[in-house]
Amino acid sequence: MIFKTNGRADIEAGLFFTFFGAATAALSLQYRMGTIAAMGPGMFPFILGSILAVLGAIILAKGILGGGEKARPLPLRPTILISLSILVFAFLLLTVGLLVALPVQVAIAMWASEHFTWKRVIALSLGLLAFCYGVFVYFLGMSVPLLAV
Amino acid sequence: MEFFNNLDIGFHAALSLNNLLFCFIGVLVGTAIGMLPGLGPLATIAMLLPLTYTLEPVSGLIMIAGIYYGAQYGGSTTAILVNLPGESSSVVSCLDGHQMARRGRAGAALAIAALGSFFAGTVATLLIAAFSPVLAEVAFLFGPVEYFAMMVLGLTAATLLAHGSFIKGVAMVLTGLILGLVGADVNSGTYRFTFGSFSLTEGIEFVAVAMGLFAFTDIVANIRSNQTREVTAPSLRSLTMTAKEFKQSVFPVLRGTAIGSLLGLLPGGGAMISSFASYAVEKRVSKKPEEFGHGAVAGLAGPEAANNAGAQTSFIPMLTLGIPSNGVMALMIGALMVHNIAPGPYVMVSNPEIFWGLIASMWIGNAMLVVLNLPLIPLWVRLIQVHYWVLFPIILAVCCVGLFSIENRVLPIYIAAGFTVLGCLFWRMRAEAAPLLLGFILGPLMEEHFRRSLLLSNGDLAIFYRSPLSVVMLSVAAVMCLIIVLPQIRQGRKVAFEEEA
Repeated sequence: MIFKTNGRADIEAGLFFTFFGAATAALSLQYRMGTIAAMGPGMFPFILGSILAVLGAIILAKGILGGGEKARPLPLRPTILISLSILVFAFLLLTVGLLVALPVQVAIAMWASEHFTWKRVIALSLGLLAFCYGVFVYFLGMSVPLLAV
Repeated sequence: MEFFNNLDIGFHAALSLNNLLFCFIGVLVGTAIGMLPGLGPLATIAMLLPLTYTLEPVSGLIMIAGIYYGAQYGGSTTAILVNLPGESSSVVSCLDGHQMARRGRAGAALAIAALGSFFAGTVATLLIAAFSPVLAEVAFLFGPVEYFAMMVLGLTAATLLAHGSFIKGVAMVLTGLILGLVGADVNSGTYRFTFGSFSLTEGIEFVAVAMGLFAFTDIVANIRSNQTREVTAPSLRSLTMTAKEFKQSVFPVLRGTAIGSLLGLLPGGGAMISSFASYAVEKRVSKKPEEFGHGAVAGLAGPEAANNAGAQTSFIPMLTLGIPSNGVMALMIGALMVHNIAPGPYVMVSNPEIFWGLIASMWIGNAMLVVLNLPLIPLWVRLIQVHYWVLFPIILAVCCVGLFSIENRVLPIYIAAGFTVLGCLFWRMRAEAAPLLLGFILGPLMEEHFRRSLLLSNGDLAIFYRSPLSVVMLSVAAVMCLIIVLPQIRQGRKVAFEEEA
């Protein structure tokens, strides 16, 4: 499951920066520009976005004209599963509580690795629950909801 | 006299039982985590930052600083024992340090690294104490124009010296500056780029950015690499150096300290550049350059001293000017801001116990590293052998709970997930993430100074060329940009960073 394109890093980076810069410049138009002497909230982001869009275009041109480094192969499955495990943790923490959120996160994250077994998930979850409770709740006195319901 | 008076304030603050304890915890935990391959100081500090938020400002900062040099030192230990650099500044330590370990001198190599670092740390701490007040005096003369020029110079230099493509680095700085602007505008109170979300009005939580870009992205990048870890375990008896090894390391350590102290001061400088520079110098002055790469003592002692000295002196521009010279310093500034302290020349006056306490704790922390690490080596060796599948769920869970605990909100966790995806894309595009963090921290400040400058000049852009200081700084930045375009230098940079790719 490896993301395979003969991608050149500069083409992708160029596209990203051009898009991000242009989007920033466009979005900052909705704020007041002001004058150079008395700048409104829109001016500085507009300037930054425009410069970034130009730089992005230069990087893109460099990439298309050849040269530049090759992109690193991004492992797709871990990228998705690790991000997902973080999202799910955030969602479950306030709706169900740490006692459920943490083991689910560990299970999803472990699934991204080749070393997944249920036994390991359970052992790690139990250890981590004890550790997080000890450090965050007991030692640092923070309020982390163990069971939200 | 004032010098000693200041140090006295500092030691008074740092030597309280509470602060000593946090310094100790910081150094210990920092070493333990920094030792794990794939977790550099940036990821380590990002992961542990939330833990320091509930502490007093002094204790919190002392602990973070402890984590920083603990992580730095831990990285070297891994480099020597396993030939896997825990972080980029210990890449050089792999070259000769690991060769020494192979020859059965692992203990001696660790001792040289520890003592060299301790010496360099001591010198650098004294330098910080002596020069910070001077630099702060200069900083008091800065107006918005000079501050803006200084930030442009700092960001340019930091991008130039960071590895990776320069133009992509600049683009990353700009991306960071833009992301830093999210939230309420200081002058008008307008909410910018919040997309109607009230929670974003205070801006994006910077710990979430740092964790997503560094800690979590590292997990994705490392999860499939099944590195076999051949640990060269030293016995405690072999920790003593021979007289010959000691003699061989004295001058490299002195030279390394000087190089590191100097390079650490530069914007963009710090531990990594210092260690590379020191290695190059040692190889040149050595009578037997052919020994380098095969366990030359000088090739380990010099860079180890240099990276520690560089790591320490890079605190000077951060503490006196409020300008971070590398990613770690950007995190330190973020940590200061959490405690409502605006970094800059005023810290020394308004919070002397924080300023001098931090400096005194640097020396104490370095001493602790030596005392702590040499006897604990057998334990560290066991720790390096822990499988990655055990580590990454721990990193994930501790980071997520930490993110929640900052403000008892889940929003930072969602943001961190977003930055994980972004970080993975940057990793794929070979765009270095550290410049983004610098820009992110400096974004609002830079805008403020830019706007204020032009308000003062009534919209005349020439104001940036009327102040001599600003002219000098902006010209240096411009010259650096020009130099990078010349192919010769580009080749030179490629060679210098080749080993890291």
